[in-house]
Amino acid sequence: MNARELAKVFTEEYLEEARNAHQVGKFVAYTTAVSPVEILRAHDFIPIYPENHSVSLITRRLCQSLSEVIEKQGYTSHLCAYARCDLGWRDVRESPAGGIPDPDFLLSCNAQCFTLVKWFEILSRRYKVPLFVFDTPQWIRDGERRKEILNYCVMQLKELISTLEEITGRKFDYDRLREVVRLSDKACRLYRKFLDMAAYKPSPITIFDALIHMAIIVYLRGTPQAVTYYEVLVQEIEEKVKRKEAAVPGERFRLYWENLPVWFKFRDHFNLLASYGAAILTSLYVHDWAHEFEPDKDPLLTLAENYVSGFSNVTLEERADMALELFERYNLNGMIMFINRSCKAVSFAVHELKELLTEKTGIPALVFEADMGDPRFYSEVQVRSRIEAYLETLSELVG
Amino acid sequence: MEGAFKTFKEICEDPYRLVPSKKVIGLTPTDIPEELIHASGLLPFWIMGTTAPIKRVTALIPDNACSFARSSLELVLEYQRDFFAGFVISQVDDTTQHMSDLWERRFRDRFFHKFLAPRQLSRPSARFWFEKELYFLKKALEGFTGKTIKENELWESIKLFNEDKKWLLRLYDIKRRSPDLVLNRTFFEAVKASLLMEKEEHLNVLRKVIDELETSQRTKGQGEWIPVVLCGLFVEPFEIFDLLDEYRLNVVGDNLIVGSRYIYGICQEADDPFQALIDRHFSRPNLSPVHDDPFRVINDVTDLFYQSGAKGVIYLHIQYCESQEFDLPDLRRYLREKGIPLLIITTDFQTRHVGLLRTRIEAFRELLGKA
Repeated sequence: MNARELAKVFTEEYLEEARNAHQVGKFVAYTTAVSPVEILRAHDFIPIYPENHSVSLITRRLCQSLSEVIEKQGYTSHLCAYARCDLGWRDVRESPAGGIPDPDFLLSCNAQCFTLVKWFEILSRRYKVPLFVFDTPQWIRDGERRKEILNYCVMQLKELISTLEEITGRKFDYDRLREVVRLSDKACRLYRKFLDMAAYKPSPITIFDALIHMAIIVYLRGTPQAVTYYEVLVQEIEEKVKRKEAAVPGERFRLYWENLPVWFKFRDHFNLLASYGAAILTSLYVHDWAHEFEPDKDPLLTLAENYVSGFSNVTLEERADMALELFERYNLNGMIMFINRSCKAVSFAVHELKELLTEKTGIPALVFEADMGDPRFYSEVQVRSRIEAYLETLSELVG
Repeated sequence: MEGAFKTFKEICEDPYRLVPSKKVIGLTPTDIPEELIHASGLLPFWIMGTTAPIKRVTALIPDNACSFARSSLELVLEYQRDFFAGFVISQVDDTTQHMSDLWERRFRDRFFHKFLAPRQLSRPSARFWFEKELYFLKKALEGFTGKTIKENELWESIKLFNEDKKWLLRLYDIKRRSPDLVLNRTFFEAVKASLLMEKEEHLNVLRKVIDELETSQRTKGQGEWIPVVLCGLFVEPFEIFDLLDEYRLNVVGDNLIVGSRYIYGICQEADDPFQALIDRHFSRPNLSPVHDDPFRVINDVTDLFYQSGAKGVIYLHIQYCESQEFDLPDLRRYLREKGIPLLIITTDFQTRHVGLLRTRIEAFRELLGKA
């Protein structure tokens, strides 16, 4: 089977298991995309990601109608589109993606954002299930404080384990956790290898490939399936490299993308950019799961180190350094900076980040504002004309 | 007496006209242990936005960011840059976390400390982390002033701040019983002024006011005032209090940051001042952005309502405050089920025009009057 076929099979198996979790003596835990899911997996909790389900609703262009359902209840249209889709779906209970099972437990990590905590608090009240918040203070550049931040995070992971033991009445198995971390590490490193293939010239993949193939690293990391999947995927892309197959024929512009994608404009953006020979190759967002665990270390420590230091939880300067490293490694010559109304955590500093990146690279940037899920905050004409104008400017510069 | 209250009013309206005798450390207003700053010989001063026009922040942060955050950053960038010798910024949510980066980059020449308070409160690790952060704040302040904060100095500061809060609680008690004597606006100005001036001076004025009030209060009756509780984070602009006074809605309880969340934060004077500050932190009312039992956002409000004998709840929602926007629908549904009247007011730090609220507050008053 090729990677896409594998993804389909693994996803169906995973969701099937989650839907029948109780019958096989397992529990369903909702968790956030960036969270120490390895602990859940090691204790027979099946992790379910409401964010992923929301993406599937958004790509089927259901965000507006689902938002309107909850806006009648007093939620505002300023909230995260993922949360709005999820809460709306819980009222209408109709999902082309088949829906997700109800939770027994909730785990939210605020390294990604605080929105998820507030969203999960609503779910905790609704389903009357416990919510554990893994609090990750900002990963500031101060060695002494970093050491204590890690101590705080490890202490919390021990609290998480105690909570899971209480729910299941079973002792936590640290050997199993080590094995899960080892599997996560393997899959994450393969995932990174896949992302890094965008460094080839011409690139065999664009960020649109990365966004499709990142699904497995989000919801199946810590499993043998994820390792198998990325082994196959890496092989497939290596074949493309050998054949010098370009994702965008006549590639001229190699672009950085800041933020999550505009999920419902995915294909349109790819086509528009490709028509100019432009390929968006990478973003910090897709790299957020390219962890490098150290399986021989204390598993709680390596989990804490990885989950506290994601791009949305570091300082602005460090985030800029992380992006600059991508500029260099991928040989980028343009950048599109998306201010995503849904995602305050990632968008808040985009203006400043753009200034920093432009100052360091000399590359001009396109900044535009819209929403990743809600078409009411997306102006087709405006975004299209700005992208076109930007690419024309780049043409002048790149030649 | 009115002259003394006028002092508070003037300070609230223009706190920057004072010439402080100490270096001023600007604080964002959530849970920074200001006693530590005071004990290091500095003046802790709360930054609470501006009604002056937004000029510089528009180019820095999205327009759907919390209006309080936008307004506060604008204040320090455009209007009061030189007033502050440094800043301590607490991170309680996405907005404060990312804003603190923008802030820090623009004040490289000043003292700047990020206070990373725990954003979960219900587990032992939160106490561990709060204690560490206290230590780091103390160390940073000592590095700035070049002076070690001694335990007895910290105790003195804690006692001074406790004393001021105790007098504010007495004032609150008088206000609850005699709202004609101490109007809503007058009381909350006294609280706000406490955050914007030297504590010793505030305490002196407050004592004088209360001594005079306590001899005169018996002459006034509660009349037709209707008791309500105020919930949320802030009441801004303060002209909202004028409307509550005009429609004789007497605030008898609140969980506001510039209100009970502050004045009930009295440290127990036990053996260890650090432990006293930690205990105080974990005894405060729920703060929407900080995670605790998910039912607390509702239970704190209902408990306050029943314990205070209020007839209704007024909830202040700050424009674009995401955490409040996640809480409100459940809170509203729950209060409705309990038959508790609720008025939600959305406010913006950039305006002093509250005329549009008049009709709603008047209607709420009529509703409560009929109940």
